[in-house]
Amino acid sequence: MTEGVFPVDIGPQYEGEVIRKADVRIELGGPNVRSKFELVTIREPAEITHEKVEVIGSDIADLPEESSQPVALLVEVAGSRLEKDIEPVLERRLHLYLNYIEGVYHMNQRQDVWIRLRKDSFNKGLNSLKILGDMLIFLYTSEIDIIEKIQITFITDGAKVEEMLPRAMQIYNARDEKARGLRESDVEEFYSCALCQSFAPTHICCITPERIANCGAINWFDGKAAYQLDPEGPIQSVKKGDLLDAVRGEYTGANQLALEKSMGAYNRVYLHSAFAYPHTSCGCFQAICFYIPEVDAFGIVHRDFEGDTVVGTPFTTMAGDTSGGRQVEGFLGIALEYLRSPSFLKADGGWYRIVWMPQVIKDQFRDACPMDLYDKIATENDVHNTDELVEFLNRVGHPWVLGEIKLPV
Amino acid sequence: MSVTIAVAGKGGVGKTAISAILVDFLSGKGTVLAVDADPSTNLNEALGINLVSTIGRTREKMTDDIKGGRLTVAASKQEILDARIHESLVETPRFDLLAMGRPEGPGCYCAANHMIRFSVDKLAKSYDYIVMDCEAGLEHISRQTTQDIDYLLAVTDPTMRGLNTAIRLKKLAGEMRTNIKGGVLLVINRLRNGMPDEIKDAVAKSELMLFATIPEDPNISDLDIKGKPLVNLPLDSSFRRAVQEILFRLKIK
Repeated sequence: MTEGVFPVDIGPQYEGEVIRKADVRIELGGPNVRSKFELVTIREPAEITHEKVEVIGSDIADLPEESSQPVALLVEVAGSRLEKDIEPVLERRLHLYLNYIEGVYHMNQRQDVWIRLRKDSFNKGLNSLKILGDMLIFLYTSEIDIIEKIQITFITDGAKVEEMLPRAMQIYNARDEKARGLRESDVEEFYSCALCQSFAPTHICCITPERIANCGAINWFDGKAAYQLDPEGPIQSVKKGDLLDAVRGEYTGANQLALEKSMGAYNRVYLHSAFAYPHTSCGCFQAICFYIPEVDAFGIVHRDFEGDTVVGTPFTTMAGDTSGGRQVEGFLGIALEYLRSPSFLKADGGWYRIVWMPQVIKDQFRDACPMDLYDKIATENDVHNTDELVEFLNRVGHPWVLGEIKLPV
Repeated sequence: MSVTIAVAGKGGVGKTAISAILVDFLSGKGTVLAVDADPSTNLNEALGINLVSTIGRTREKMTDDIKGGRLTVAASKQEILDARIHESLVETPRFDLLAMGRPEGPGCYCAANHMIRFSVDKLAKSYDYIVMDCEAGLEHISRQTTQDIDYLLAVTDPTMRGLNTAIRLKKLAGEMRTNIKGGVLLVINRLRNGMPDEIKDAVAKSELMLFATIPEDPNISDLDIKGKPLVNLPLDSSFRRAVQEILFRLKIK
């Protein structure tokens, strides 16, 4: 289809092709270059010229062979059905499309972009960024029909790239903030991860935008990407289904998943509560939320914490009680990142129900802790047993102990 | 299709020297990925190059970045890991080197290792030859790659202990998820005056087939004493000739 039009071939067979340093004609961006980024933005149709490719700075044929150079790759698109939210998706397509091109490799993203062009492809005629731009335009427009106009600019002038970088960083940060704000209500699919089933056969992780996998390694975006990469793999997509309980986080899809993957052991799961039907825990969780009956509240302990927790047992003992793919009321294996979720233990009072945690975790998650609560959570430096804990909480006036916190209904 | 040769055996029997010379020969025939899968040896030193990073360090850094909430959501962790593993490659004109580094500490690495296997397998596919210098337990092979192995060279010196490790390797290889297509091949290194009878008898009783022998080469200890890379071995050394003979018998010419 592309034969004769472009000097080198295009196709998925070139994806994953490694370009060895010895074969590199030119490297754009990458670990050895400071000024680099790639950015896709949506424009008004009048702002751009369809199929225009511009090179600001030297083109690759004029740059020293085997050198690493600064680069900004700007893709501007217009179309009546294009929405702002799709910008990051289109930007990520650069990774796919550039890797489709014979003798071109693309790694990383955004301000870490790393592109290599192989000597033999350069010699075959891919000797100008204008051609590379044409190839990208061909790929974008043939794969995504809602793109009506597209314009591409390469900048290899380091000073210019450097000058534009802060603006790009602002855009990236705004997008990240938006992505982190993604909620369970915004999506139709959750993801399940069965990587731990060899250790805990009745355990299945349910991953939502508000609940990262227990091991802390796989969030909703990772789940989505992993499923696309390997649809037969250990990470599967799960229909969210109907919301049965908004406070506890109960969905028909998650219940169905629990039933199917726990070999019938469980048929209900509350995604955001440690009571009644808590999420099962494998052996991989980074931390445990544990119930402290003396104060009717929770402590948190992480895997690296040495010594006894405030209730007199160390992490290892508690892990034994929590793990194995069971639902254990009052013991919840979690990823530390879950502390940053807006739905963290939502049904049980969230952060306001936490009364004890190791100092290092308190420091690390200061950003997630409500400001008025920070000084009221005890650590191993404040108390050593539950008697001291009760005294501490009353002295500092922990809002849960004072009865100021109402549980959501 | 790439050809993968794994070299394993008890510590000190000459695995790294054999791996280094294999890399040296093979890089004259095609692209080579050298994998140092033994945290206690230094394939890079034998090859005369410095390490940038290791998979172990990449994994730890990734874990830290996740904990600190520092990873972007612009790309998946798998893709970020792909790139970081590429960054930890030592690229030389003749071959590339990937070091596995130390095994993981306590904690869960199911997901991390799953992702590492995915990245390493993808990377390895692009090379004509892959040479893995392994530790005796083959831990890294089972954890960090599912790459099929064409030949596993079980290396020993003429000692019972070394041979017993090689025999164990054969058993271990049968239990792994990795498929070893061309089988486990016994290589006896550092032979002085022919094969001792005791070793000959023990080999006959074992399930291993003697594939090759390598005579003791004084040039190696000479380079070791001077701290020089083993790839500086003279071209006509007996060790080089023996390794070349191994490739010849594997029909890699």
